[in-house]
Amino acid sequence: MSRVIVITSGKGGVGKTTTSASISAGLAMKGYKVAVIDFDVGLRNLDLIMGCERRVVYDFVNVVQGEATLKQALIKDKRIDNLYILAASQTRDKDALTKKGVGNVIEDLKADGFDFIICDSPAGIEKGAQLALYYADEAIVVTNPEVSSVRDSDRILGILQAKSQRAENGDEPIVEHLVLTRYNPERVETGEMLAADDVIDLLRVKLLGVVPESQQVLNASNSGTPVILESGSDAAQAYMDIVDRFLGEEKEHRFLSSEKKGLFQKLFGR
Amino acid sequence: MSKIIDLKGSILSLTVLHIHSEDIEQTKQALAAKVEQAPDFFVGVPVVIEPHVELKDPTFLALLVEYFYQLQLIPVGIRTQDKAIQEQAAYAGLAVFPAEKKKKAKEKAERKVEGPGEPTTAMTVNGSVRSGQQIYAKQRDLIVMGSVNPGAEIVADGHVHVFGKIMGKVFAGSAGMTEAKIFAKELNPELVCIAGMYQLSEDIEPQYKQGFVEISLKDDKLVFNTEILN
Repeated sequence: MSRVIVITSGKGGVGKTTTSASISAGLAMKGYKVAVIDFDVGLRNLDLIMGCERRVVYDFVNVVQGEATLKQALIKDKRIDNLYILAASQTRDKDALTKKGVGNVIEDLKADGFDFIICDSPAGIEKGAQLALYYADEAIVVTNPEVSSVRDSDRILGILQAKSQRAENGDEPIVEHLVLTRYNPERVETGEMLAADDVIDLLRVKLLGVVPESQQVLNASNSGTPVILESGSDAAQAYMDIVDRFLGEEKEHRFLSSEKKGLFQKLFGR
Repeated sequence: MSKIIDLKGSILSLTVLHIHSEDIEQTKQALAAKVEQAPDFFVGVPVVIEPHVELKDPTFLALLVEYFYQLQLIPVGIRTQDKAIQEQAAYAGLAVFPAEKKKKAKEKAERKVEGPGEPTTAMTVNGSVRSGQQIYAKQRDLIVMGSVNPGAEIVADGHVHVFGKIMGKVFAGSAGMTEAKIFAKELNPELVCIAGMYQLSEDIEPQYKQGFVEISLKDDKLVFNTEILN
């Protein structure tokens, strides 16, 4: 059974695309067949983070409008087997997507035997974001530990339960997960950031994982690598945990408190 | 120069003839018998024909229209959803009216079922009301099992009960019921309002933002009470 997952947030710049890239790569590494679709038509980013921007010939809009086949447009990842990317168009805008067209693409992907279809939503709550979540079975809401991001996530959670196909048909509601990114325990302690508990308390969504704020995420993005592949880094471990928990594994949450500096580290000023 | 013509919509009352037989002779006889009872009444009366059976005979309508004129009735149209009959109507020079909406009758029936004895129960929301969502409990109470998040709005014509924390806007007695109250497990709202009298968060004393609170209206002023459970 294919699972359609939307990665959404409401607010921009919180790490949706980074999370989409890493979760897709993580699931593919586990042996699942994964397609990740960039819904941010006009502002495509996913292909950059996945490092395949020079291999885009046909894009999502071409497929939706019947100008190319799905096979032509799916870009196979060079590092991981079973991982395919459907890039967004840079030259069109979100009006180029239709509900029916998107539905056809998702149906075709299901028929092709994809285990996971990851929809990387654009920011906002307008048409693009609503199309990205319309066909979803599950949603991963990405939030930063600050007030406006949490508020926007709350809004998008409301829309998930009101405007999705599942809501319209009266089916089982979309399963919601929360990913907290750019988490900095030191800044939480000083009160500059919201604590994870406060965010969960307000949103009432099960926490899938916390990704610590780190330079590695930026470096990985700039070099066109999903950060989950930078093994050894905190962010990669955090995303690996998230993938495991998403697949049903019970794992203790990490990166919630600041590491105590050891005596040697203190002495050598590290 | 004044207007020569004017096209305006108007609702008229027309007599509708229901037809339950597909036999033209039978229908004619029944119609003649009816008219005979009060001949003067039927002269020049415009009539809409509404068949309730499938009219297999394609000449049925034409024959009936002919008979109408003999009886000095004026057939003006037909009301049916049957495509074949609608086609016949075009030949017979009759207008086609849309089928009667059954909705009203249903609504009435539903209202009857409710009856005066049964109470209207409160509207219940299972879980939280999220930012951007609006909930309105018309002519009844509202119960929210979770929290009212910032940016959410809940409105009730009756009381409002929130088993979580109120962080959004809350309106009780929105249709003017001054006895309406707001109950919350915890309160840190953007705005609370009872029957039009409202207060913003910054005007609410911090002591009322700690735990369970009841808000009521007394002499056009909102009264906060945290002692109600003690």
